[in-house]
Amino acid sequence: MTTRLITAWGLVAVPIAYGLVETIRKASALFTG
Amino acid sequence: MTERLPLLARERTVAAPGFNRWLVPPAALAVHLCIGQVYATSVYKGALVAHFDSSLTTVGLIFSVAIAMLGLAAGFGGTWVDRSGPRAAMALSASCWVSGFLVAALGIATDQLWLVFLGYGVIGGIGLGIGYISPVSTLIKWFPDRPGLATGMAIMGFGGGALVASPLSGRLLELYDSGYDASDATTVADGHAVALLFVTLAVLYAVFMAFGAATVRVPPEGWRPAGFDPGAVASAPLVTTAQVSARNAVRTPQFYLLWLVLFCNVTAGIGILEQAAGMIADFFRDNGTSSVTAAAAGGFVGLLSLANMAGRFVWSSTSDLIGRQRIYAVYLGVGLVLYALLASVGSSSTALFVALAALIISFYGGGFATIPAYLRDLFGTYQVGAIHGRLLTAWSAAGIVGPLIVNRFLDAEGEPGSLTASAYQPALFTMVGVLAVGLVANLLVRPVDPRFHEPASAPADETRIPARSDEEARA
Repeated sequence: MTTRLITAWGLVAVPIAYGLVETIRKASALFTG
Repeated sequence: MTERLPLLARERTVAAPGFNRWLVPPAALAVHLCIGQVYATSVYKGALVAHFDSSLTTVGLIFSVAIAMLGLAAGFGGTWVDRSGPRAAMALSASCWVSGFLVAALGIATDQLWLVFLGYGVIGGIGLGIGYISPVSTLIKWFPDRPGLATGMAIMGFGGGALVASPLSGRLLELYDSGYDASDATTVADGHAVALLFVTLAVLYAVFMAFGAATVRVPPEGWRPAGFDPGAVASAPLVTTAQVSARNAVRTPQFYLLWLVLFCNVTAGIGILEQAAGMIADFFRDNGTSSVTAAAAGGFVGLLSLANMAGRFVWSSTSDLIGRQRIYAVYLGVGLVLYALLASVGSSSTALFVALAALIISFYGGGFATIPAYLRDLFGTYQVGAIHGRLLTAWSAAGIVGPLIVNRFLDAEGEPGSLTASAYQPALFTMVGVLAVGLVANLLVRPVDPRFHEPASAPADETRIPARSDEEARA
């Protein structure tokens, strides 16, 4: 069950992390742009 | 549908002993992350305009149709979703959302705009509506101790969907069209690249949504988390242990008060979201020149997306601690003070402007995420998905009224992107009034009259499921 939990959360965490990093990079232009 | 496909039947999704309820939020997130793409359409809007030699208004209408279909599908399909269970609903949502992309891709490839309207707007829009409400009642049943946290996690995914789809779509368009640069606003991807993007997204979303449908489970009847005392929750103000059907819910004043609450909260938030980039540039314009660059304005839009997503999780989870009526009093009461500050002193400092706008948008997201738990408190779990679906018509209505209010005021002043802070004051102070109406509506909410309750012998769930021992399937 633990493996299923890690897999399931990992599957959704990867795209969310990608989106967060890209958005933070874009948002950083507010302070540097 | 479930008679022909027994794998999708509600009975087949009852959790086996030992099932961990924390598997349900990622299943719900998988669906919401996919359908949240609807807010990332600006990436290829220009490309569609150029490909079809059309106007922004016409192409924008495709997405308006999708949002309108979301409201209709959620409103009319809610009862079916509650009856058929989350797996069938997620499967239907995935079928519509994925085939919507494929039909739209065919429309782009064959130069038939009506197919894009049919695919993305109508078929995809149905997938949006069914997908949005599909995990809500299931999560509320798995997390009776923390319904705000549970629905906040799922609905956060809807905000996160655009965060993922927007940069991903830009990268894919660059891959499919070597002449396109996502960071250069003067370049536009060709139609062939957008068609390929749609097919790629369809494949990715099919995998993710299938994972959600395969993973989701409903709790056995009578299940409750270890150590959970329903009496303790029911003793909180406005929380009932009674059940109200969707048919009866729409006969209560509470339903319409909450409709008004959601409508006012969304109307005010959309007003800022729609104009975000132009607004920050206008607020800091002096002698015709803004001190905020286009890149910084884009960064502001990104920051608002983060605030929108975070607010869905943080504020909805907070509502489990302080209560639903109080958290909406914060969204609306503190929100109107923030709007008044934005209108009056927002132009004094960029940091203050950004902080006020981010907090306002976090309340906007929080309002979406907390409403299912508010409905559960007032109407019980019996048909909460169907009631939620009907309430989402407030979202569709606010999606029209919010931009209309702001655009009407701004049209009288000039073009966003060439105005000054004072031009926004009439619109922002109107939003203060809108939030005040929502605040009063929220404060008028009282427990539902017992004459609307289901008889005591009625099921606490839409479909009775044979009980396992209470603790067998606990986390």
